[in-house]
Amino acid sequence: MGTEVVLSSPTGDSLLENGVRHCVDDICVPVKLFYGHVLDLAERCDVLFVSRLVSVEKAEVATYTCPKLIGLPDMVKSSIEGIPRMVEFVVDLQEHSIRSSAKRLATALGVPQPRVRSSLAEAELVQAAYDEKLLAGVEPEEAMRQVLGNGNGTGNGGKDSSARKPGAGRARKPDIKIALVGHEYLIHDHYISHNLPAKLKRFGADVTYMTQVPIEVIESELARYPGISWSYEKELLGAASHFLGRSDIDGVIIVMGFACGPDSIISEIITREVVTEASPPLTTLVLDEHTGEAGVDTRVEAFVDLIRRSRNRS
Amino acid sequence: MKVSFPHMGNAYIPLSSLLSNLGAEVIVPPRPTRKTIDMGALHAPEFVCLPFKVNLGDNLRALQMGSDTLAMVSGMWACRFGYYGRVQHQILRDVGFEFDSILLGREGLGTVYNKFRDTVEGSLLRGWAHAVRSFKHKAEAMDALEMAARKVRPFERERGSASSVLADGLAGVHQAQTIKATDAALREALGVMDSIETEPPAREPLDIAVVGEIYAVLEPALNFDIERKLGEMGIIVHPVMSVYKWLFRPLKIDPSILVDERLARRIAKPYIAYVLGGEEHQTITGTIRAARHGYDGVIHLYPFTCMPENICRTILPRVESEFDIPVLNLCLDEHASPAGMATRLEAFVDLLRERRRR
Repeated sequence: MGTEVVLSSPTGDSLLENGVRHCVDDICVPVKLFYGHVLDLAERCDVLFVSRLVSVEKAEVATYTCPKLIGLPDMVKSSIEGIPRMVEFVVDLQEHSIRSSAKRLATALGVPQPRVRSSLAEAELVQAAYDEKLLAGVEPEEAMRQVLGNGNGTGNGGKDSSARKPGAGRARKPDIKIALVGHEYLIHDHYISHNLPAKLKRFGADVTYMTQVPIEVIESELARYPGISWSYEKELLGAASHFLGRSDIDGVIIVMGFACGPDSIISEIITREVVTEASPPLTTLVLDEHTGEAGVDTRVEAFVDLIRRSRNRS
Repeated sequence: MKVSFPHMGNAYIPLSSLLSNLGAEVIVPPRPTRKTIDMGALHAPEFVCLPFKVNLGDNLRALQMGSDTLAMVSGMWACRFGYYGRVQHQILRDVGFEFDSILLGREGLGTVYNKFRDTVEGSLLRGWAHAVRSFKHKAEAMDALEMAARKVRPFERERGSASSVLADGLAGVHQAQTIKATDAALREALGVMDSIETEPPAREPLDIAVVGEIYAVLEPALNFDIERKLGEMGIIVHPVMSVYKWLFRPLKIDPSILVDERLARRIAKPYIAYVLGGEEHQTITGTIRAARHGYDGVIHLYPFTCMPENICRTILPRVESEFDIPVLNLCLDEHASPAGMATRLEAFVDLLRERRRR
């Protein structure tokens, strides 16, 4: 739409600390992270773009994302002072199309309406390319870089930053395959997850992400577990069910953010309704703003050891 | 069929009447205590919201008392409450209990309607009609008694008399077998309530509105009976919700509740633009209304990790400063203690008294 895009910096100590300071104590970690990113941007932009994800699919029975995502702009608006003007991008596919949301956004940004059609078409192309990269197993950050350059559609975004993060490097030859199930904003946030994917690779595991499971597969799995109204949790459930039924997967890790409401229910449904005698081992990793790296290391290492030991025995 | 359901304030009174009129034997677990919460927390997911743990504890106790059917509402909402029944019943089966589930909402009205075909004597339709009628009478009686006690409590001469009359009255209503007996029990209890000796207060009583997550507001086991506590401190309490409203809102037969809901959504709209699936509109609107009515303060109760109320908790400071009304946020979890609660309440009340003096 002809605006210059400024992205927030990768999560780090001071960013998270700032977020936590401006948040209610017992809200979930992702919201604290989001606040950190908003504050990081506050001084560097003229207009703050916040998405309000209400429903992301059009279904017979209404589905939702999660109350926090629906109320995110309300929270930001009411509780952070001194932020620039905020524009909302409402995604409520149950009620109206992306097109009309884009039109409203254009009005708020003062962009001429005829521009909406072409920019939306381009955005859809980019999204499709990005989805394809994810499906091929590229991490979101890297996929975005490959598709968009530096996030503004211009120039080259630089090197892969994950190589410089803790836990990277020294990967050994993988002999087991572990699937990660959890929200992308946790697993692929190298700071909050302590670079979990790289950590697993270092322990000799080949990592599969739930973004590599095609949507048709998730939907066919979900036919067995009806009655879930949270779109993103449906994806977790479908992906978990798919991984737990695959013989080439040696272990599944569910990654949750502390105090995440829908996850607390869905992980219980996964462990109680999906897991069978034949399923590979499953563990849950809860991440919060205090999680020390050593704690994550210990648990992941123990899980990997357990898988190797049970394999050697059989 | 020995049927049971989790507690929610005094909702067990109309609900037992509904089920026993349908020919089921109703097993009411003891009112939730700390022990119930501990029992539930043992088997519940770690950071699920507190009502889940209490309800699970209630169900455990009911099963230990020999119930063979558990009833619960269920639905596909943004809030976790819709999944309580499904997950709790699975947990209890994994623990080793065998029972039948009635998940109203998941199974559809027809299935639930027909579940009582064998227990109702004579026509099923007539059985249901009578059961619903007695349910409504008991709910109204319960609500009337709760309101009467709320009115008398701050002015009673002898502390605790309104609460003991309320307990006796509710027991009378609960035991009444017929609609006529229910009405008689209500009349008698209201009569006793009227005859409680009152005295004019030494100082003008404070008015405090109680808003928040519905279970936290209405379940005395969770909020350490805040309504009684404040009342006996000589404070007029205005809870935003009532068990009656909670029971009748989804039935959509009481127009005043529906009008109130719409109005609440409209007033809260500038602060929360979309439906979040909980009581968020009542919390925000309740706070705004409290300011407009000239109340002295607002107490906001919510269980730890409650999603909609956490959002309210984030937004309330803005409402607080825009409408100039003090709000006390109280987060409840299984570790909350009566002493901690009492300290904060007393400090808040002192603050309000000081504020009024100025």
